[in-house]
Amino acid sequence: MTNLTLDRRSFLAASAAVAGASFLPGSLLAQGGPIRIGTLTPLTGAGGPYGPVMVKAVKSVVEKVNAAGGVKGRMVEIVSEDDQTNPEAGVRAARKLIDVDRVSAIIGTWASSVTTAVAPLCWESKTFLCTVSGADAITLLPHQGYLVRTQPNTALQGRKFGEFAVEQGGKKVFYFSPQTPFADSQYAAIEAALSKAGGESRKYIYDDKKPSYRSEVDEMLRYAPDTIVLGGYTPDTSVLLKDIYRSGFSGTKIAFGYSVNQKLLDTVQPELAEGIFTISPSPAAGSEAYKALVSLIGVPSPDPYTTQIYDHINLVLLAIAAAGQASGEAIKDHIRAVSQSPDGVKVNNAVDGLKLIAEGRAINYDGASGPCDFTDIGDIIDCQFRYDQVQGGKLTLVKIA
Amino acid sequence: MLSYLLFTLTIGGIYALLALSLNLIWGGVGMVNLGLAGFFAVGAYATAIVTGAGAPVIVGLGSALLASAIVGLLVTYGTLRLRGDYLAIVTLGLAEVIRLIALNERWLTNGADGMSGIVAPLRSTVGSQAFNLGYLVFVSAVVILMWLLLRRLDHSPFGRAMKAVREDQELAGFAGKPVLRLKLQAFALSAAVAGLAGALYGHFQSYISPDHFQPLITIYIFLAVSAGGVGRPAGAVIGAYAVVAFLEGTRFVAELLPGVDPLQAAALREMLVGAALLLILHLRPQGLLPERIQPARKTRP
Repeated sequence: MTNLTLDRRSFLAASAAVAGASFLPGSLLAQGGPIRIGTLTPLTGAGGPYGPVMVKAVKSVVEKVNAAGGVKGRMVEIVSEDDQTNPEAGVRAARKLIDVDRVSAIIGTWASSVTTAVAPLCWESKTFLCTVSGADAITLLPHQGYLVRTQPNTALQGRKFGEFAVEQGGKKVFYFSPQTPFADSQYAAIEAALSKAGGESRKYIYDDKKPSYRSEVDEMLRYAPDTIVLGGYTPDTSVLLKDIYRSGFSGTKIAFGYSVNQKLLDTVQPELAEGIFTISPSPAAGSEAYKALVSLIGVPSPDPYTTQIYDHINLVLLAIAAAGQASGEAIKDHIRAVSQSPDGVKVNNAVDGLKLIAEGRAINYDGASGPCDFTDIGDIIDCQFRYDQVQGGKLTLVKIA
Repeated sequence: MLSYLLFTLTIGGIYALLALSLNLIWGGVGMVNLGLAGFFAVGAYATAIVTGAGAPVIVGLGSALLASAIVGLLVTYGTLRLRGDYLAIVTLGLAEVIRLIALNERWLTNGADGMSGIVAPLRSTVGSQAFNLGYLVFVSAVVILMWLLLRRLDHSPFGRAMKAVREDQELAGFAGKPVLRLKLQAFALSAAVAGLAGALYGHFQSYISPDHFQPLITIYIFLAVSAGGVGRPAGAVIGAYAVVAFLEGTRFVAELLPGVDPLQAAALREMLVGAALLLILHLRPQGLLPERIQPARKTRP
């Protein structure tokens, strides 16, 4: 029994030490001390491949800013936590960032469930949150302005589909989609784009586990569209394409870049997929910010999330400089002043922007992921999309716009 | 800092309930339940759905207990012939089935978007700081109550019969113990405790989604119970708080280590969880607070 008490005591002592030690970092923060920004990216779990590069990009930006004298003379400090691609673990990490490190902003949350779980902690503690999650519901949360995202939501993607269909001369668009969380919002945006151009559209929701889509395709033929939009994933789209080919449909076909991909092209007969256009969100490849990011982290073609978090850190630091203080509230109130000021000087990195702000000039940040202009609820207004076409069994770039 | 401590202790309390649940079924009857996250999910979703429809929180908690107990009964019926590793695998599958139901039955669970805005009782009237403190007190009280109840259970004839089944099911049956009924009762009770933990988590966080209920949390709880001592409720509770302290404490330790980047720190934390489990099993397999077996009462001559 003596052993037992000893164990319990040493355990208590150890946990007290851990708890005590955790008091330290908070007390180091004083007014005029470093500006703290938290990154909450997946470093382990399903998002594990993306998070580490994202953190690297943020650290590189901050090193540059600190080398150039910091933000209004204050150094910037990055605290990185792992959300483990799990909302339960993500919330614990966010609480630590908010309550212990007292960060002004959390950037880079990746999985939609993590973002939705973390967002309430942020707006309640007046901490700013920048995310790369795509679920439409996120910006509809009552976040009071404490949230922006750089990932296009599905409505914006839908609009791009609609506009591209019109551009290709489409007047009657038929939208095929399985039951997904975004089918409705996406179709609404397509419909709006079509009716604006005087066209019309119809949607058809199918079951994505069927071995054949004869009756669905018959339904499509009855409508006699000139354009069809394929809203499904790779497996069901492969099956659907066969039946569309059999029907002899010869109009325009548009699909998501993630469904009609090289994998699909490798598995279906070449004639089935020939001529399909694909659309996918694209970083602003070729923009100054994108080039700066590439040279900063030494990765030739950074993934969209890395370009987005690069924009997050730049925007947050610029907003702090514009506000003259580092609170989450200040970032909330000034982020749009640096991201989309109509007569601001265009800048593509924080160091240049900070100089201009110090000179008292208005700026307008254009980033590596796109123009980074936000609506009132925090969605991006526009971003670049990549349009490809299947030509000779290969995806060939049509344009990035 | 204070609110971080309050938060961590509340999460510790919720982990403690899960550990008590696992300890009851694993330490008590010897059934390995790798589906803990599933019962956690059933409880969380049950209260989210019921209170979302306008029922008071107390009814939500009640329905969480009931729903997970029913699922627990169904599982026990479905796995009557399975023991040991086979049962463990099936329960792991069950947790995944529950997660997939939550993901796909959008009409009920709102699918991948998850259910947000779950009622946090009294939060709007007392403010979030007071709510966090009050909730910690509430969760801690539930943990203490549950611990006392389960400790009492262990020392009762029911507890002794349960442990007889754990040691040798055939022998217990031969000695006249109703093995099936004991298993059903214990599993239902254990599932209900896990469901209660889920419900408390849901009302605390106001948001749940299928992603919350990945097997990760089950592994943490296994670590907690192994560390604390299988078969002793106090051990499970201490183990759970220790695991949360460990998970959170390593964040600060990683920051103090020079030359460790965030990715390495994250990987190290995961490795440490595994290493801790191995070390405990190797050095102190009976756990921090080993099971106390009461000597049999002396029979009168």
